[in-house]
Amino acid sequence: MEPTHRWIEHTAELQLELHARSEAAIFRQAVLALRELLEEDAGAATGERVERQVEAEATDRGALLAEWLAELVFLAETERLVPDEARDLVVGEHSVTAVVVGRTREPRHLVKAVTYHDLELHRDRDGWRGNVVLDV
Amino acid sequence: MSEPVRVDDTLWEIPAAAREDMRVPARVFADADLLAAIRTDRSLEQLQNVATLPGIVEAAIAMPDIHQGYGFPVGGLAATAPPDGVVSPGGVGYDINCGVRLLATPFTHGELDDRRRGALVEAIARRVPTGAGKGGPLALRGAELDAVLEQGPRWLVEHRDVGSDADVRATESEGCLEGADPRRVSARARERGAGQLGTVGSGNHFIEVQRVEELIDRDMAERFGLRKGQVTVLVHSGSRGLGHQVCTDYVRTMDATLGRHGIVLPDRQLSCAPLDSDEGRAYLAAMAAAANFAWANRHAIAHGVRRAISDVLGADAAAGTRQVYDVAHNVAKLEEHGGRLVCVHRKGATRAFPGQPVFIPGSMGTASYVLAGREGSMARSFGTVCHGAGRRLSRTAAKKQVDGAVLLRELEAGGVAVRAASSRGLAEEAPLAYKDVDAVVRVVEDAGLARRVARLRPIGVVKG
Repeated sequence: MEPTHRWIEHTAELQLELHARSEAAIFRQAVLALRELLEEDAGAATGERVERQVEAEATDRGALLAEWLAELVFLAETERLVPDEARDLVVGEHSVTAVVVGRTREPRHLVKAVTYHDLELHRDRDGWRGNVVLDV
Repeated sequence: MSEPVRVDDTLWEIPAAAREDMRVPARVFADADLLAAIRTDRSLEQLQNVATLPGIVEAAIAMPDIHQGYGFPVGGLAATAPPDGVVSPGGVGYDINCGVRLLATPFTHGELDDRRRGALVEAIARRVPTGAGKGGPLALRGAELDAVLEQGPRWLVEHRDVGSDADVRATESEGCLEGADPRRVSARARERGAGQLGTVGSGNHFIEVQRVEELIDRDMAERFGLRKGQVTVLVHSGSRGLGHQVCTDYVRTMDATLGRHGIVLPDRQLSCAPLDSDEGRAYLAAMAAAANFAWANRHAIAHGVRRAISDVLGADAAAGTRQVYDVAHNVAKLEEHGGRLVCVHRKGATRAFPGQPVFIPGSMGTASYVLAGREGSMARSFGTVCHGAGRRLSRTAAKKQVDGAVLLRELEAGGVAVRAASSRGLAEEAPLAYKDVDAVVRVVEDAGLARRVARLRPIGVVKG
């Protein structure tokens, strides 16, 4: 099963649903979803290539997904880092670490915050499922 | 979801008995048509969730512009009372002290021909950064940023010669919430917000040039310094990345301490802590600092607008541009109601004390309103009214139905000059994405919460 994501209708904000065979793939797919949101239809990748060691911590799986995305949101706003992929990603019981590779350029859009509303990350019949609502 | 019961022509109630975990009723100010629109999303379920908060008093209350949010609905309020009452960062939202400021210029629509109207909108777009994370004209760090967090716009008047003391006096709480403590604002929040003072941001934030189309309450309009045909400028923005990060930090902190405080919630985004706990006090101090930053932000934006007016219409026109008022619509404040101190969370709701100016932006292409608070708001809604038209369609649905480029042409043809950072952003904020602002405002007037003073019509929009 290829990892997938989709954006679900929400009156004011954006709800992101993720599916993947493994938990690590959920976190990698979240990077691609965020890139799509930041980039819109920006076309070919431009900007200086950068790498950042990123670590997020939380006491449960759902919060770990939210905190992972919150780290990427922070980098996008403060360093103009539009992520392309997460390498060497390791998911632990209370943490996720990776080298986030991307390019520095002005994002077309920013995310205000990653909320804890309807937050989910759990196993389902086909693998793993994540759900998170972003304030845009 | 439980059925709302009609209380009177403008008020509906879901009784506390509707759910075991509700401590108080959930009340909605709306007419039948607006209620039908409200019921198409999860707004009322979210309002019932708010009614479960420890220490909530009287009711969880929604205004007619309510729509689904995350945790709290947008367009509602909750008052909580010490000692058991909680403060919830989600009850304020990520954009702490998002709000609106109205400037009244000394010139009329008739004096602004199409060329100068376009030039003014262009000049505002040049003088005031808009869009995703754009850096502003006032990059403050360290002690200077601390001073703004503590003092709000007054520091800009005294140390940067930005705006005037009259502007500060014409601001809710004079642009400074007591108890602001920069030490409670994280390094990350400072980093996100440090370069953003004086910037509009993206999403639904904007600067709108308007004409006063109709005076509805002439006496009150005169008191607010408004006359028919006058050109006004409405600024809608908030605390930018700094406020977003403050809320992020404290939602996380309080989520982790719910168990210690024995709090059980139906939605994690309602995370909260008792008002008199360490976490509660720390959040209130950080939120106040972010609110002061937001008032300083709108103050700096207004300075940019005056410079744009000076560029196009001369220094006298800029000097004669007066601030009518500035109101917050995302904030928690300690206020006395019914003889007791309560923490009023307003999320997408505006303070409307009797006689106080209130501004209700419509959407691009539709009217905005100036209201004045009435006694009824103190009796029925903790001194609160609505904050806008309220979203009707999701951003995705709006983009499916509206082509940004087509909308731009339609607005221009309708006499609204538009400068937008993104056509997608423009489509997301299309007029059809919002409820009917006339109907929303009529409900708050009929409910006795506020009276209509003037209707404003857009003639130019600068959007992030």
